[in-house]
Amino acid sequence: MSRIRSVVAVSFLASMGFSTAVTAQEMISDTTARKQPLTTWGVQFEEFEYRYSDDDEELGVWNADAFYGTDDFKVRLLTTGEYEIAEQAYETLENQLVGQIPISKFFDAKAGVRFDTPEGPDRTYAVLGVAGLAPQWFEIDANLYVSKDGDTSTELDAEYELLLTNYWILAATLDATVAFSEDREIGVGKGLVSTETGLRLSYDLIDRAFSPYVGVVHERKYGDSADFAEADGGSTEDWFAVIGARIAF
Amino acid sequence: MNASKVFLVAASMSMSAAAIAAGAHGGGHGAGSGEPGKASEAARTITVEMYDNYYEPEEVSVETGETVRFVVKNEGSLVHEFNIGTPSMHEGHQKEMMMMVEHGVIQGGKLNHDMMSMDMGNGKTMKHDDPNSVLLEPGQSKEVVWKFTEKGDIEFACNVPGHYQAGMYGDVNFE
Amino acid sequence: MKTRLLTGLLSLLMPAMVLAGEYDLTVDRVEIDTGDFVKEGIGYNGKSPGPVMRFKEGENVRINVTNNLDEMTSIHWHGLILPFDQDGVPGISFPGIKPGETFTYEFPIQQAGTYWFHSHSGFQEPDGAYGSIVIEPEGREPFRYDREYVVQLTDKHPHSGDRIMRNLKMMPDYYNREQQTVGEFFSDVSENGLMNTVRDRMAWGGMRMMKADVEDLQGFTGLINGKGPDQNWTGLFEPGERIRLRFINSSAMTYFDIRIPGLDMTVVQADGNNVQPVNVDEFRIGVAETYDVIVRPKDEQAYTIFAESMGRSGYARATLAPEEGMEAAVPQLREPARLTMADMSGMHGMDHGSMAGMDHGNMEMGSSEDMAGMDHSSMEGKDHSNMSSMDHSNMKGMDHSGMAGMDHGSMAMGKESPSDPFYAKGSGLVPTAANGGKFLSYADLKAQNPLYEDREPTREIELRLTGNMERYTWSINGVKYEDADPIRLKYGERVRFKFVNETMMTHPMHLHGMWSILDVGAGQWNPIKHTVSVQPGTTVYMETEVDEPGQWAFHCHLSYHAAAGMFRKVIVEGGPESKQAKTDVIAEEGGEA
Repeated sequence: MSRIRSVVAVSFLASMGFSTAVTAQEMISDTTARKQPLTTWGVQFEEFEYRYSDDDEELGVWNADAFYGTDDFKVRLLTTGEYEIAEQAYETLENQLVGQIPISKFFDAKAGVRFDTPEGPDRTYAVLGVAGLAPQWFEIDANLYVSKDGDTSTELDAEYELLLTNYWILAATLDATVAFSEDREIGVGKGLVSTETGLRLSYDLIDRAFSPYVGVVHERKYGDSADFAEADGGSTEDWFAVIGARIAF
Repeated sequence: MNASKVFLVAASMSMSAAAIAAGAHGGGHGAGSGEPGKASEAARTITVEMYDNYYEPEEVSVETGETVRFVVKNEGSLVHEFNIGTPSMHEGHQKEMMMMVEHGVIQGGKLNHDMMSMDMGNGKTMKHDDPNSVLLEPGQSKEVVWKFTEKGDIEFACNVPGHYQAGMYGDVNFE
Repeated sequence: MKTRLLTGLLSLLMPAMVLAGEYDLTVDRVEIDTGDFVKEGIGYNGKSPGPVMRFKEGENVRINVTNNLDEMTSIHWHGLILPFDQDGVPGISFPGIKPGETFTYEFPIQQAGTYWFHSHSGFQEPDGAYGSIVIEPEGREPFRYDREYVVQLTDKHPHSGDRIMRNLKMMPDYYNREQQTVGEFFSDVSENGLMNTVRDRMAWGGMRMMKADVEDLQGFTGLINGKGPDQNWTGLFEPGERIRLRFINSSAMTYFDIRIPGLDMTVVQADGNNVQPVNVDEFRIGVAETYDVIVRPKDEQAYTIFAESMGRSGYARATLAPEEGMEAAVPQLREPARLTMADMSGMHGMDHGSMAGMDHGNMEMGSSEDMAGMDHSSMEGKDHSNMSSMDHSNMKGMDHSGMAGMDHGSMAMGKESPSDPFYAKGSGLVPTAANGGKFLSYADLKAQNPLYEDREPTREIELRLTGNMERYTWSINGVKYEDADPIRLKYGERVRFKFVNETMMTHPMHLHGMWSILDVGAGQWNPIKHTVSVQPGTTVYMETEVDEPGQWAFHCHLSYHAAAGMFRKVIVEGGPESKQAKTDVIAEEGGEA
């Protein structure tokens, strides 16, 4: 009781101090949640799938992000992994932690760090990126990475969803990586490194929370990166059949 | 129809003397609701006050064959009608009144008299000059003399769009 | 006005005879069964919706509200004129009601009509915390009826309000299942040609706007008095009776188009204030609005009350019948509404380059003065010319049914497409009656009795309704509530509010505590409302006599728009000392906001 009264008294005094026009009526200042920035969170698995390649490779793959924050600032955790089932090893494992702020009506800027901890050598990068909605409904996520050793690369993700119906959705994805310097240890050559294109047909089974899909994914390495892969006994081009689900909660 | 032509005089006590007999918005007046009465035969005067949107009183009692002089006063702030007829006559008349509103003849609390007397193409007008009814602006008062020739399902009603539906009608009860 | 005067006289003569009513309400966790799903929600006196609170004009009411929840709550008496500390908005009128606490509201009832009440805390209202208020007038009403029913609508969603807000923030189209599909592309191609359809899609895609952005929240079950379509709430009648239906839209997000196939409806009240009766076949009720209509079913048969959502994604249904168990056909939902470029015309910074292919004719928007005035001025002008050229020679034989159904808007603007001065010209949202008849427009609403003397406003305040669908942010003048300063009004002034809707959504704007005199171009007959819908791409004016001191909420009544920032505090400075003094009283009520 006394607390409220003192708040009132303070705001009353304050208003007296700043403006004589203010009457005693501004008795309560709004300290409810409504007056605070709306804080929200979300978790989305864009991809959560099993991949079976044209040369019998089996992978468990995810691509997910989780965010927490307000319109003005969000913390976002992005995680991507490819798990080789036969070898019980991560082919890729990337985790990014970024802060995100709006920079235009449809785009946000991101900055943070990325930790790659797959089977083999680890890498840590600084991340600078933009993400948002481009004209004609392309979801864009473009990032610039700088490793501790100064290697720089850039990655562009684009996604387009075609609504066959309001529940059957065909999603096309393109993910391309370009390196500005070579990092032989992890098989990255200068220039266009790799692309991954995918086509997934999903059905929204439970709201937009659970949408099973099937699809195909094509992975390809280019230039020096392809040569490195070959030299290391890996493949330079793979086709995958995928089955999985888009998940949001 | 015949009745309204013959006894036009009675009604024009309060209406424009130049009123033309042809019922601008006629439609079976007289059938079953009685006929225009002569003021001299009226033994009784009933005052009916019109408010927004109701009458006071909301029912009157008459005897078969009785001629009644109704003094109708518009005490409201909108245009109102006092019209004696059967429910189906009122229903027919409401369509005409709707047209009067759509043509700007009735504008809330005002009547557009120029529009009412405008020639509609064949000598007919939207004058509201039937002997069984009066259409009044706020503050106006007029009389209707009516002979209830036979028992029937008769109401006095305001057919300005929406008013009847909202309940602006009164029952005529036969004793 | 007359009744107010009467009240004054009575209270002078008989000060001891003031009526006082005492009422109790508990706020409880309840189970809500829509017929489609069962969920936990919040209700009053153990039920959602809560009870019909019946007050009498002139009485003083005391309402004891006991909070049985484990969170703060509040009750706002929507549309009631009362001291601001009784208005029930946490953080603005009072601190709120703590769990376990009983708060006693006490205020005089100074008005009559149909209103409602709801929680103003969090998302308790969409979660079920709402009920209705019926106030019996002191004098007689300007209409008659034999029986009356409250018909309270809501859009009950299986998700909780918190979850809906979070999902909308995560994916603004989370609930939109009326988006344009490949199938619609091909049907548009066959109708308009390939190039036109591609250009159209490119224009919208360029703006990153969806034609289908009519309803943010789909997947609800429409309820009438708490009953889903299959549970079929039924109101009984005897043929020939006049029935007053008190429609209240207590939805979180949904506008409804309401019709009763086979019955004409006469609208006699809007937002609790009597209007000059209008006969309609159908009307649109905005969120938080009320409309009272009188119907007169003459036949011994059932009639369906059909309330279709504006975006056609769902409906509510009830029945009027001579006997319990009778029912009438339930109509099919009509095609989903699609926005047009006209609805986008309020947007700033729009990429006009990408609109090259669009019909710019649609974009020609009159200023709103034109819009409000249009109906009357151009009607009159038109009428005269019509009169001379129209063949009225056979008036009796003319098809009057067609005439009656014609709406004023279309008379003024030509018949090629439906129009309404309160929608952007060429808008895709303009409603039409399912039977081709009369659809109520704001332009048809005229006060039955002007509550205030008409006078020039002392100043104008422009409120641009702004937002960003992709971020699901909603604001006023580009500023969200969290960052906004209060709007300061002076007691005794008459403020003209200019709403400019720069978004593609309809916003029902609700000013607490003081009446919103909606400018329909009728001068002193402008209707008195508490909630004013502003359609996309339009400018709407309302005036407010600043006659209540204190501080008040002013916001979009779409729950998730208000929560996202389309909200303001209004401070009325000055005013009678006696009323100001009351502010000390609330300050002493404990509790944290």
